[in-house]
Amino acid sequence: MQIIVNTVVLASLYSLIGCGFVLIYRASRVVNLAQGELMAMGGYFLFTVAMGLFKDPVPSFFVASIFSMALGFMIYLFLMRFMAGESVFAAILATIALGILLRGLITLIWTSQLWHPLEKMGITNGSHTLIKDAVISTFGIVTVLSAFLIYVALFLCLKFTRWGLRMQAVGENPLLASRRGIKLHNYYALSWGVAAFTGGFAGMIQSCDSILEPGMVAIGLKTFPVVLVGGLDSLIGVIPGAFIVAIAEVIAINYISPQASEAAPFIVLLAMLLIRPWGLFGTKEELERV
Amino acid sequence: MPFASGHFRTSYRADLSLVETRTGWGFLTILMIGLVAFPFFASPFLLDLASQVYLSLIGALALMLLTGFAGQISLGHAGFIAVGAYVTAILFKELNAPIWVTLPASGLVGAVLGVIFGLPSLRLKGVYLALSTLAMHFIVTYMGAEYETRRGFATGIVIKPPSIGPFYIRDPLVWYFLLFFAAFVALLFSVNLVRSRSGRAWVAIRDREVVAEAIGVKVPFYKLSAFVTGAVMTSISGCLFAYYRGFVSVEAYSLFLTIQYVAMIIIGGLGTILGAVLGTIFVVLLPYAIDGVGRALEVPDRLTTYMFAIQYASFGLVMIIFLVVEPGGLVAIWNRIRNYFILWPFRRRTLRG
Amino acid sequence: MLRKGLFAMVLSVVIMPMFFTPAFAAPEPYLVGASISVTGPGSEPLAPIKDALDIYFKEVNAKGGINGHPVKLLIEDSMNEPSRAATQARQLVTQNKVSLLILGGLSSLYAPVVQIAEQYNVPLLFLGVCPPEVYPPKADANQFCSTAFGIKFDSSFAVPFIHEQSKGSSLKLALEAMNVPLSRNEIDWAEQLAKGMGIEVVDKEVTPPPTADFTPFATKMKSSGATWAYSYGPWGMEVRTFEALRKLGWKGKYLAYGHIQAEDELKRLKDDDFYVYGTNAFFADNTQAHQRIKAMSEKEKTVYPYTQLTDGWIGATVIEEILKKVSWPATPDKVRESMNQLKVDTQGLKGGPIVWTKTNHYRTTGYYRAYKWDSKKNGIVIAKDWTAIEVK
Repeated sequence: MQIIVNTVVLASLYSLIGCGFVLIYRASRVVNLAQGELMAMGGYFLFTVAMGLFKDPVPSFFVASIFSMALGFMIYLFLMRFMAGESVFAAILATIALGILLRGLITLIWTSQLWHPLEKMGITNGSHTLIKDAVISTFGIVTVLSAFLIYVALFLCLKFTRWGLRMQAVGENPLLASRRGIKLHNYYALSWGVAAFTGGFAGMIQSCDSILEPGMVAIGLKTFPVVLVGGLDSLIGVIPGAFIVAIAEVIAINYISPQASEAAPFIVLLAMLLIRPWGLFGTKEELERV
Repeated sequence: MPFASGHFRTSYRADLSLVETRTGWGFLTILMIGLVAFPFFASPFLLDLASQVYLSLIGALALMLLTGFAGQISLGHAGFIAVGAYVTAILFKELNAPIWVTLPASGLVGAVLGVIFGLPSLRLKGVYLALSTLAMHFIVTYMGAEYETRRGFATGIVIKPPSIGPFYIRDPLVWYFLLFFAAFVALLFSVNLVRSRSGRAWVAIRDREVVAEAIGVKVPFYKLSAFVTGAVMTSISGCLFAYYRGFVSVEAYSLFLTIQYVAMIIIGGLGTILGAVLGTIFVVLLPYAIDGVGRALEVPDRLTTYMFAIQYASFGLVMIIFLVVEPGGLVAIWNRIRNYFILWPFRRRTLRG
Repeated sequence: MLRKGLFAMVLSVVIMPMFFTPAFAAPEPYLVGASISVTGPGSEPLAPIKDALDIYFKEVNAKGGINGHPVKLLIEDSMNEPSRAATQARQLVTQNKVSLLILGGLSSLYAPVVQIAEQYNVPLLFLGVCPPEVYPPKADANQFCSTAFGIKFDSSFAVPFIHEQSKGSSLKLALEAMNVPLSRNEIDWAEQLAKGMGIEVVDKEVTPPPTADFTPFATKMKSSGATWAYSYGPWGMEVRTFEALRKLGWKGKYLAYGHIQAEDELKRLKDDDFYVYGTNAFFADNTQAHQRIKAMSEKEKTVYPYTQLTDGWIGATVIEEILKKVSWPATPDKVRESMNQLKVDTQGLKGGPIVWTKTNHYRTTGYYRAYKWDSKKNGIVIAKDWTAIEVK
């Protein structure tokens, strides 16, 4: 039973990180390999805010989220905007370079020490018993709840608000959308901002639940199997993708070997690519037939 | 491509030759003499750097052929290097094999791995291909780590210097010439490959795959051959890397290594051999150049801790600058400088490329 | 066009200085070279070493140096990359002509740098984890280590300590290591030791290095019914597994090897059943040396807090003692000679002196202490005072 709880929390974390990734890809067809770093930045923002400005969790999270979103906008403004017309490879490389830059900045500003934002905020990560003595931590609950809420919010926004519909349009057919008067750059920037926010939020929760250190960015790498299994441009697909990868990892840890848990998500990724490259819910892109 | 105006090719032989004009031969000879004389005047530190450049050049050329010419995005390059190094280490530790066994063995296993890495390329393109190569990189490193764990080589595997006959390759000077020779062979091979049928097929696949198929290029064969060529070259460089460092351990073959190679070909200029050379020199020397700047600026002690983090970040920053400001890479810059001098005193805007 | 041309020129100007930076010319100071992982993965326990070395030798030089000569520390950042560490080591030895080489890095950097030390016959002082070649009976001629984290000797204190602490209650021991060589070997040895003492080992976990979430491992440890857990590895792993266990509602006792953050973390966790052990004394002791470290760190405004500077400070003390016995001009051979007869009074920072001999480059006796938090006293208390373990 505990294993199930662990899996659910892990899957929620992955979905939080993954949805930002999907948003960016859906809007601009850019693969954001710096999502892990965006996540870490969120955690560090929370730490700085908690240390300097507010002591309470709620305002700290709020202000840190604003910072994360601003970071996303700035990244678009100063970097990704120029990558708009370039090849896929160049765009991927730009995000990789961005990741390296962010990692360097993190070490520069916050050093490589291990930090605990919770300490600064004065709250503890208590544990609560669920059913049949399976235990979940406070922030585990926060992870699951926020993943759920954010997904519902995103879904509603995309389907029903004007912004959401326009973002979908921009993703599907940029040329037509711009003819229609939709300012592409604004919506790309918006997708980056929201992605940085969701990723950053995941980072904040992770830094409270676990620890804040530069090595956190490695979690971002594991998100690729998640979004690929679900479908690179499918928001709904991230959830089954997250669960599949989380289950694979947990099974690997418990029944094969802990080292295998690092490779397990990528084996799942490979399998998916060979069977159904566009993922469970992604749109079929043109492929080769040999 | 001849520098000189007024030079006309008057025979097929001239058309095929690599170096055409007398000035071309002149520059080449001067360069060769310089490179051969260099180790006798340079400090061991610079010698080490130069050797590293040659070693990385082999891998960079391989990646340039695969990604720059054949258009197959590969993020698993470190996996090939790891494979070459591990085959060498395993053969050395288990069977005490000498270099003339491990080197071809690395190449062979690299070829097999190249086929495996290349199979997804038959079905996938772009992002999907990149992610599949990424996945395979992690699986390869995982298997390497498993080997280390199972066989108890916890701190990594130490390898004795290789020997050819009774002659040990240990002296840095000998390494310099060995690696120079290897890089030279790789360079010659790549340049000729690119001009050959395979090279043209690759470029055709890269630019317009459907049309390539239509005009009769056997696309699957050439895609796989690109992967296999790249893999064999890289795993041989991995084998040399293992001998040069004398040490094999899984931490050295991280994603960051792949990123460095990708940076080499992008910063150099995608799609040109010269790009691979310039890019390699730039990426290998950049960290040390930044160190030099740091030292030259005489930063106070306390701040040097921050300087280091700045160096760490600057690699990403430089890459970003290149991508945004000069997507054509160092080759484009070189072409501009060269054209300026060729056309002087006429200042005319040149066409791209 | 103009913009891009300017950019090209700026770029070439930036690269040029590298080739023309003058090699360090002045032979007057004692030259010590160091390659330390200040940035890069796994650098948190190593970066503070640089700070400690900086402030220590700043003071030494202000007081006139050693034997009338200042000490010049050339510290490079290896970014925890083996190739870079090796290249820097080579540069320090051949170009800068240092008489003593220092390495502060994780175990993956060891072999390449040791090669350089052997090739140029320069003594190498490890300020990270101690490699296997420094222990008796036959320590390698050029390898020395002054820090803690000594294989097999650490657990030789830890396991009997647990056994002692659990007298009167049932002892079911769970072990945890990270899948890096020193951690894993040590826990394997601890398991052997425990079984030899008749302790029931109910679980042994080996975590992969980049683990984000230790909950699954904690779950397995808890479900094995362990009453004590012993964890040996990087601090992040040790403390996060502990926190995961507590989140799962585990009520047992936990012993972790105390790294540089141990003291601050005990204060943060405030858990009576979380024990740390190690060879360095906590700042709670408030000896003169501790006060000095604190004062210097605050005066120089070090990047890392003073509580993390002990290891680096002890290393600096060792270097000073080494150089005191090296007559001018310094050569690597004289330095090695001095190191082979070293006796350093650690002034209360460790349990006893560090003594090196020709065959023992670790220390002749290791001293260990265990600490824990006591909520009744609202402070850190000593769970077991200095215990000597002979190093043979």
